[in-house]
Amino acid sequence: MELKESIICPGCACLCDDLDIILENGRPVAIHNVCTWGVGKFLAEKKLRPNKERRRLTDPQISRHGRAEKVSYEAALGEAAAILTQARRPVIYGLANSGAWAQEAALALTANLKARLEPADLAFMAPFYQAVQKHGLFWAPLEVIRDEADAVVYWGANPLHSCPRHAVRYAVFARGRFTERGIEDRQVAAVDIYRTELAGICHPYIQIDPFQEAALAEAVMASLNGHPASEDAPADADKLAAFFANAAYGVIFCGRGVAYGGPQVFDRLAALAARLNEKKPFVLFPLSGDFNSAGLYELLLRETGSPFAPDFADPAAPTSQASPVDFQEVDAVLVTGADLLWFLQAEQVQDLKKRQVPIVALSPFADRTTAQARVCLPVALDGIEAAEIAYRMDGLPVLLRPVASASAPPAHRVLADLNLFL
Amino acid sequence: MIGQADILEFLPRTDCGQCGLTCAEFAALLLSRERSPEECPVLHEPDYAGYIEALHELLAQAPPPVMQVDAERCNGCGICVAMCEYHLGNCPEARLGRGPRFHDLVVFHIVNGTAVVVRQDLCTRMLQAAEKCSKCAEHCPTEAISFKL
Repeated sequence: MELKESIICPGCACLCDDLDIILENGRPVAIHNVCTWGVGKFLAEKKLRPNKERRRLTDPQISRHGRAEKVSYEAALGEAAAILTQARRPVIYGLANSGAWAQEAALALTANLKARLEPADLAFMAPFYQAVQKHGLFWAPLEVIRDEADAVVYWGANPLHSCPRHAVRYAVFARGRFTERGIEDRQVAAVDIYRTELAGICHPYIQIDPFQEAALAEAVMASLNGHPASEDAPADADKLAAFFANAAYGVIFCGRGVAYGGPQVFDRLAALAARLNEKKPFVLFPLSGDFNSAGLYELLLRETGSPFAPDFADPAAPTSQASPVDFQEVDAVLVTGADLLWFLQAEQVQDLKKRQVPIVALSPFADRTTAQARVCLPVALDGIEAAEIAYRMDGLPVLLRPVASASAPPAHRVLADLNLFL
Repeated sequence: MIGQADILEFLPRTDCGQCGLTCAEFAALLLSRERSPEECPVLHEPDYAGYIEALHELLAQAPPPVMQVDAERCNGCGICVAMCEYHLGNCPEARLGRGPRFHDLVVFHIVNGTAVVVRQDLCTRMLQAAEKCSKCAEHCPTEAISFKL
């Protein structure tokens, strides 16, 4: 039995750095201070169904006529390279759950293939960056939020599902420099279309009708500006405006629900944050659950100058697209760091199957995408079986050291090898 | 005071999964009387002769559980660890929202994504005959913690 202390968890974008792991025969058997998302990766269990095993991929496979055959690593790479080079409109999809080195290798592969790189959470993050470009960036590290924020709003977010320890480590319960009594020194509110577990700790908890988020943000803004609320303004707008007015340092954590309300919701929230920042610090923070989503956008901003999906279809003039790719025009997909067929709508999945679009999947676990993939390449778990770099949700880069041995190569190595086969 | 670690000494610690749990989780359920030693298939093997009886003796010395955690509901968020009145005064890590270190003397640990009561005797309810502190249960968002008293 071996004890490893203060290990960083690649379960979600919190990148908790306080895990103590007991290893037996080189494999983790008991992990202290880990939530169910971390357990899902360390112990290969289903995230929301503990004790249900997630099957690991062990050998490279090629599917021919619906039958999967185990093949050598080189044969799988050769087949994957053939699929992607013959495609007219290839797409590299996912990467929010990949380490930074894998993301760099995927970007190089995308440029070489004259393909498009599609972040798995583009529909969520693109409207955020558009709002930032228009209204400005209102940002703070998580430790500053823990120390100073006395007003916390979860908007369309349920951190207990997307990053379970977020509330306890940084936003609500942790005691900081100026929030010495934790939750007693903070006001916490939530806006959502459902009633979630947050209702017990968020006061007020504002449950609104779908597609009313933008109207609510506008009504709050009007109330803050001293204008009377219109008759059709959502209820509780005044309550939320009073909440914002009472804050000394605030933060709005936006979850995936914001994207479902339409691209204008981020715009209205950023406008609201800009208005609030005239008098006090107020942070607007997207709460992406995937462990290295922030790293992907750091990379895109650094390498392409834009946080949107880079498209190298015209190598002389690569573009960046804020709108998600139209999968009807895609004729080959490489998926890594995401489960494509889980994210797509049912009709999009049917369309891909009907057109027999070949999928090359890199994954440590068997999932919906690997079940339909033409080529499957097993990879090591980033940050558990292979060293990687990941960016915490506030942009802090951290080195993840491996704690267990790997039976498959890391994703960045596979992507680099695939690039050599093109 | 008999704790989870003492129970674990008499379990195979192979995490074979035949009971559907890891050995640490099984030990916690033995302490809360939700499982019995006979339910571990490995303990019926000849190599472990006498272990079941030893576990029964140990459990007889352990006080009946006051606090119970529903492992099905718990998501390991750690709010109970941060809110615990004992941790507030005795565990600086938990005050800051971090998890206690492996060897820290605490009421709760989060192990494999579930809150596990390791030192029930440190709980304010036990120390001060309180029945007054129920901060862990009050703030648990999934209502996984309950008290028997």
